[in-house]
Amino acid sequence: MTNLVKPGTAPYLAAFRARAVEAEPHWLSEQRDAALARFAALGFPTRREEAWRFTDLRPLESATFLPAEQGAALAPERLAPWRLDGPTHRLVLVAGRFAPELSEIGPLPEGAWLASTARTLAERPDLARHAFDETDTGGGQPFAALNAALFADGFVLALDEGVALDRPVEIIHYGQAAAPASLHTRSAVLLGARSRATLVESFAGEGAYWTNAVAVVRLGPQSELRHLRLQDEGAAAIHFAAIRATLGRAAQYRSFTLTVGARLSRSDAFVRLDGDTAQCSLDGAFLLRGDREATTATFVDHVAPGCVTRELFKGVVGDRAHGVFLGRIAVRPDAQKSDAHQLNRNLLLSPRAAVDTKPELEILADDVKCSHGATVGDLDEAALFYLRARGIPEEEARRMLIEGFVVDALERIEDRAMRDHFARHLGRWLAGEQR
Amino acid sequence: MLEIRNLHAQIAEGRKILKGIDLAVGAGEVHAIMGPNGSGKSTLAGVLAGRPGYVVSEGSILYEGRDLTPLTPDERARAGIFLAFQYPVEIPGVNNMYFLRAALNAVRRERGEAELDAGQFLKSVRAKLKLLEIEDDLLKRGVNVGFSGGEKKRNEIFQMAMLEPKLALLDETDSGLDIDALRLVAGGINKLRSPERAIVLITHYQRLLDYVEPDRIHVLSDGRFVMSGDKSLAAELEKHGYATFGTAA
Repeated sequence: MTNLVKPGTAPYLAAFRARAVEAEPHWLSEQRDAALARFAALGFPTRREEAWRFTDLRPLESATFLPAEQGAALAPERLAPWRLDGPTHRLVLVAGRFAPELSEIGPLPEGAWLASTARTLAERPDLARHAFDETDTGGGQPFAALNAALFADGFVLALDEGVALDRPVEIIHYGQAAAPASLHTRSAVLLGARSRATLVESFAGEGAYWTNAVAVVRLGPQSELRHLRLQDEGAAAIHFAAIRATLGRAAQYRSFTLTVGARLSRSDAFVRLDGDTAQCSLDGAFLLRGDREATTATFVDHVAPGCVTRELFKGVVGDRAHGVFLGRIAVRPDAQKSDAHQLNRNLLLSPRAAVDTKPELEILADDVKCSHGATVGDLDEAALFYLRARGIPEEEARRMLIEGFVVDALERIEDRAMRDHFARHLGRWLAGEQR
Repeated sequence: MLEIRNLHAQIAEGRKILKGIDLAVGAGEVHAIMGPNGSGKSTLAGVLAGRPGYVVSEGSILYEGRDLTPLTPDERARAGIFLAFQYPVEIPGVNNMYFLRAALNAVRRERGEAELDAGQFLKSVRAKLKLLEIEDDLLKRGVNVGFSGGEKKRNEIFQMAMLEPKLALLDETDSGLDIDALRLVAGGINKLRSPERAIVLITHYQRLLDYVEPDRIHVLSDGRFVMSGDKSLAAELEKHGYATFGTAA
């Protein structure tokens, strides 16, 4: 067995063995053991692997991020920058664990379930098993496997057929670590046929923590999920988040991700269009400065016919920062009449900033409409002069042009209040604020 | 207001374009600078507005008695200099109204005036839009995005009307305009003539001068003024072309 253990994984294996084993279902314990073995065999990815070719994992490998203990108490005001205005169902996870004193889940309609993963495992084993019992806990993804082995908590949103939530579900993941620590949350969104929800996830925090979040999204026929994510992690944090979504017939998944935080981050979305005429939109923007690195990786798998994918990601990269976009769309032989469009546009703000962008289409059906594109450019000097020639100071003119570059991605958020919320966070980045 | 002495300027790579310009424009005056293509007209406008890529190698530019050359383009604009672009730039994603309000408030801050809120700004905009017959919905678009050539030029004059500069430099604002648009643009310029304001019209053709009567006309050729005179000079040029002044038309 020892020859199957990759270097660097040993401390995590030891931590797994040393953890206080809580009473949990047998299937889950087995799944954890299997996942850990997979992580041990896979080890940390290297740059020889195509999916990790552009990522510098040294910040993660330079320390051991053992699973975090219970987080310290947090004053509610600390969460103010990320809280949404208006009524929401708010669930807060501090250091990867449910914080009831900071959460406020309003009255839920019949047929709706929103609770922490730990509580769901205890009280709704039926739901938990449906959400987390998987034969494939992440394929070749070592961090998803580590998450499956070590996760302590997370959230579960489940709606029965036809249930619509009028308030958005708001999840705030607040990371904390005095010494390097990892936060493994595993969450699930399970929407029954024709149900509808808006989910807003914000990631923030302080200290040298590593967020390793995995969420499973399963959308039943004609259900709709709007999934907005803000990655605003602390400046010393590492952030990995993976979403694995499966869409049934005519289901709609609309996601928007704004990435402005963490020193090293990677966001993976795997979307499987399983039912015909399902629609998915994956949009977002990443804004990086200093020596931050962020990867946005998406993989949309058109399995069923007549499905639609729309993807728009805007990257703004300054100083010595590095942005990566890996966008893959596959169209299976049976997925006739697929309609997929993907675009990644990037703006470099400094000569030492870098972007790697790799859009990929694999089309195995013959009657499809697919396109993709990628651009990398500098700030338009003619436009900058035009604004300055009207009296607008250089810094303000630059901010206006960067905002103008990003705005069409932001406009993919249909809801006005939500768009304003994300625009405020974009504005904070433009003003140079960093946490 | 503007005093240029023995101005020499070149593009950054080294080619000399302006070879000793002398020009004095007083408050309340309208000067026209005419000349064939390549004579240096747009370079002169660019050098005055602070466009990057030009180097002043000799001579001086005084604006209201102070040296203009160390000022950045936005400092010049806030000091009251306005350049109407020959080719206004399209800026997708930057809303026209938002842009104009940012510009106006930057200028107002400089003058020690209070910034305008959205309501006050809109009121001021409406009045001036009418003057130039610009449709409201053009302002909801990105800066110059989807504007026709004529709309872009009218938008330049509209911006000038909003910003109320002391010195306006109009770089071939008449080019590419049909006769109706030319009348509108000229009407806008004439409305802005005032004893406190100086206007420099840069043009290849004399026809704008039929609508905006200049006090002085200067003919630029190969980086130098080869002739200056009153408005009758324009008619002379119309008749004989620039060839009269020893240059190819």
